[in-house]
Amino acid sequence: MALRKVWAFFIRDFLEEMSYPLTFTMRWGGILFKLVTFFFLGKLVGDAVLPQLAPYGNGYFPFVMLGLALAGFQGVALTAISSSVLYGMYTGTLEAMLVTRTSLSTIIFASSLFQFSSALLEILLYLGFSFFCFGVSLGQANLPATAVLLVLALLSHLPIGILSAGFILIFKRGDPVTLILGHVSALLGGVYFPVQVLPPWVQAVSQLLPFTHALEGLRQAVLNGRGLGELSHQVAILSAFAAVLLPLSLALFAWTVRQAKRLGTLSQY
Amino acid sequence: MAATPAVAVNRLSKYFPHIELRRLLSGRPFSGRWALREVDLELRPGENLCILGPNGSGKTTLLKLVATLLIPTWGRIFVQGHDAVRRPLAVKRHLGFITCNEESFYGRLTGWQNLAFFAQLQDLNPESAIPPVARLLQLGPYLDQRFFSYSTGIKRRLDIARGLLHRPDILLLDEPTTNLDPISALEVRDFLVQLRDQGTTLIMVTHRLEEVARLGGRLAIMQDGVFQEVRPAPEESLEDLYRRLVAGGTRGAA
Repeated sequence: MALRKVWAFFIRDFLEEMSYPLTFTMRWGGILFKLVTFFFLGKLVGDAVLPQLAPYGNGYFPFVMLGLALAGFQGVALTAISSSVLYGMYTGTLEAMLVTRTSLSTIIFASSLFQFSSALLEILLYLGFSFFCFGVSLGQANLPATAVLLVLALLSHLPIGILSAGFILIFKRGDPVTLILGHVSALLGGVYFPVQVLPPWVQAVSQLLPFTHALEGLRQAVLNGRGLGELSHQVAILSAFAAVLLPLSLALFAWTVRQAKRLGTLSQY
Repeated sequence: MAATPAVAVNRLSKYFPHIELRRLLSGRPFSGRWALREVDLELRPGENLCILGPNGSGKTTLLKLVATLLIPTWGRIFVQGHDAVRRPLAVKRHLGFITCNEESFYGRLTGWQNLAFFAQLQDLNPESAIPPVARLLQLGPYLDQRFFSYSTGIKRRLDIARGLLHRPDILLLDEPTTNLDPISALEVRDFLVQLRDQGTTLIMVTHRLEEVARLGGRLAIMQDGVFQEVRPAPEESLEDLYRRLVAGGTRGAA
């Protein structure tokens, strides 16, 4: 029964998305445009000009392509839940859903399922365009390790998205956590350049971000074909982030829901 | 043995605190307002209640508390014997809440797609749940059209249809005819009378005295979070009663 409800949310969001046919086209076009930009930037930089790029083998373009793909995925993990809460409060659909026989947790998490699926599709688009249009070799990629790292990337970032949704339930807008973390991750996590080019103390700070470990693991799995055994360091760190933060964020979220019902802010915008 | 009341409310109170950083910093953290104060109410199955009162008197807060959208500050709410705070999912099985927010749908989806989504949230099969309510509310010709193309009247009918999908035995309505033209309002009222005659318990918040007259049943007049009066049927004219209780006999007097 719960799966049928989750499917209903997926279909709802799919139908809404399909009702704007240009959205798909624009999204695909946006990814391609971004890749073209970085492809020529990669040509300018040249292959393995920086010694810090050597561990990633194939030059700047594949390196930055994976950074961009995971940054988009992280953005969805951080904002999907809070944006669905915000939309529901704004339109009044959250209140309409809350009077049905569906728990708030199902409503919140199922509402973000389509966005996660879209984000996963975007990663595939990044890889597909890079392979077919820009000649990036993906034959060496370790698919099981890539899949595990993507799941762990999701699970280690999701708690921050859940906390953000809790913040929105009480304060409605202006969630500072995801904004700061998104920018900090892009800057320090190694999206555009290897973390090793940063000053040592900044490198130490970057190790505190789950994004840094997820991206490093993903690059090693896709570009160097490393397996889970060789990526045990990243897997362990991401698992630890998820194991500590997920229950904490869920408990805090349940608390904010109770507070929102007490304060009467659950259906206000 | 007496039948279980459809809705029983005991000493129900709701305080909305206002949290402001400025007040916290100034050492005066507590401010807010009482929306409901020790309200008692009992409705038998099939009985209906119209709640009248000025804006901000606590009517919608009462509905939202019964609908489990709010947690009371104190007091108890029972719906068909289920505690609304402890067993909200059991309570929702019996309740339909017509929010009367006609924008609380997905504009790009058709009427059918919207109803199918909400039917599935009620653990229902849309194929069997939608046709009866669509027939009842004469929504058939509109179900294949996108929601954003509907008139306000059709949107309101869809709102009522959504609340009836799971055939609730208690229906909560918050100003169901607001923003409707006279004919659409008349149709909604006729439809509510049908529901009443079929034995549905209705709790309706309204500002329209003619609605109270049409629906009959009990009348509650609320002001400042308390029921000024709950009575079976007014012996005087509704206008005089409302003026006497809410405006102290002076409001609107010639």
